Amino acid sequence: MTQSNWIKIVIAAFLGIALGLIYGWVIDPIQYTDITPNLLRQDYRADYVLMVAEAHQTDQDTETAARRLAIFGSDSPAQIVASTLVYANANNFTENEIIILQGLLTAMQTYQPQGASVP
Amino acid sequence: MRQLLRNQIFQLLLALFIGLGLGLAYSWRVSPVTYVDANPAILRADFKDQYRVVIAASYASTHNLERARARLQLLGDTDMVSELSAQAQRMVARGELLEHIKPVAQLATDLQNGVASLPPTQIPSTIVSYVSTPFTNNNNLPFTLTPVTEIPTEELSATETQSTPEDKPLKSTPTTTFKQTALVPVTASTFVPRPTFTPIPLPGAPFILVGQDQVCKSGTQPGLLQFILTDRYHKQIAGIEIIITSLQGEDHSFTGFKPELGNGYADFVMQADTVYSIRVAGGAFVPDISAPMCKDSNGASYLGGLLLTFQQP
Repeated sequence: MTQSNWIKIVIAAFLGIALGLIYGWVIDPIQYTDITPNLLRQDYRADYVLMVAEAHQTDQDTETAARRLAIFGSDSPAQIVASTLVYANANNFTENEIIILQGLLTAMQTYQPQGASVP
Repeated sequence: MRQLLRNQIFQLLLALFIGLGLGLAYSWRVSPVTYVDANPAILRADFKDQYRVVIAASYASTHNLERARARLQLLGDTDMVSELSAQAQRMVARGELLEHIKPVAQLATDLQNGVASLPPTQIPSTIVSYVSTPFTNNNNLPFTLTPVTEIPTEELSATETQSTPEDKPLKSTPTTTFKQTALVPVTASTFVPRPTFTPIPLPGAPFILVGQDQVCKSGTQPGLLQFILTDRYHKQIAGIEIIITSLQGEDHSFTGFKPELGNGYADFVMQADTVYSIRVAGGAFVPDISAPMCKDSNGASYLGGLLLTFQQP
């Protein structure tokens, strides 16, 4: 086989790889279902935390609020609310919503999981 | 075969297909597209349930029905009311706390009725409304969730763009194009239309017993105690707590957890030779309830049921 033939084969192979990548990444990428909440876009996360804060404002159930926030993964509830508060301030949430989030943050900062205080 | 392998066109095609296979393997297996900005519609089912519970809890606090509806739309449910009702039943079956279940049932009822169960606490004259319940993208891409909110169109203006690949599956039935920012409040000088007030019973309104009927039908659950609660217009009401007390203890039931049997329907299975007292939240007290004995066509006795009908005066 001549050298030019090899070059053509290599070019064809690279062309195939490129087509495969385009198809797999752009045309028909893997469709994810059943994702976990930590993959949610930030505004959805912020809205979820705001909902938790709105519920907490009424029921004052810190344990339930912490458990609801725990679906975002390993960050502590206080960290989750704090980062949401930063997002809220940066994105012009209403004053009332900021206050509600701050209330939840305070509750989460003082929150002790049940059993944690047991020696 | 050897001659075929020497054919230059065949060699090129072979190289092309091998490359294609490698490319697909890399893009689908080794390094697939990863989502970091996903939307709630593709959450796992149990997380969607959690999302609904939080939406309902938030709604119980704010009574903002339109916002709750918009948030539920994020989950991509075809029938929000049915999903909420079914979830309430699942929560009952799992023995979850009643205070977590009730908001879910209440939200389902309010969505079905189209009005919030309680009016919002404040309606300021200048409304800073939050137009970005994040269910749209702003990249001039058609978004398929049918808008049902009554947010004025001028509030749905775009300033930023964010589109994500996960919006793609939602494009099958485009209906409306939204342009909207993510979580940017807009100060509107006009009134946001409020839900029309329709007099509906409050949870604490009194009920009275208007009917007590034996149910002797073979094939039905023995000892089934059925409740139907209606308002004064005979419209069934969901989310009403019924407390059933006996010497064995206390049980709670809620109307609306079996919407296929009616929003105001609830049931409970009585044991034979047990006397129960029934109390409807904020209303009637019915003592000395027990399962009746019925006779079939052969004269054999079996445990029958009861149907109690409560109505608001």
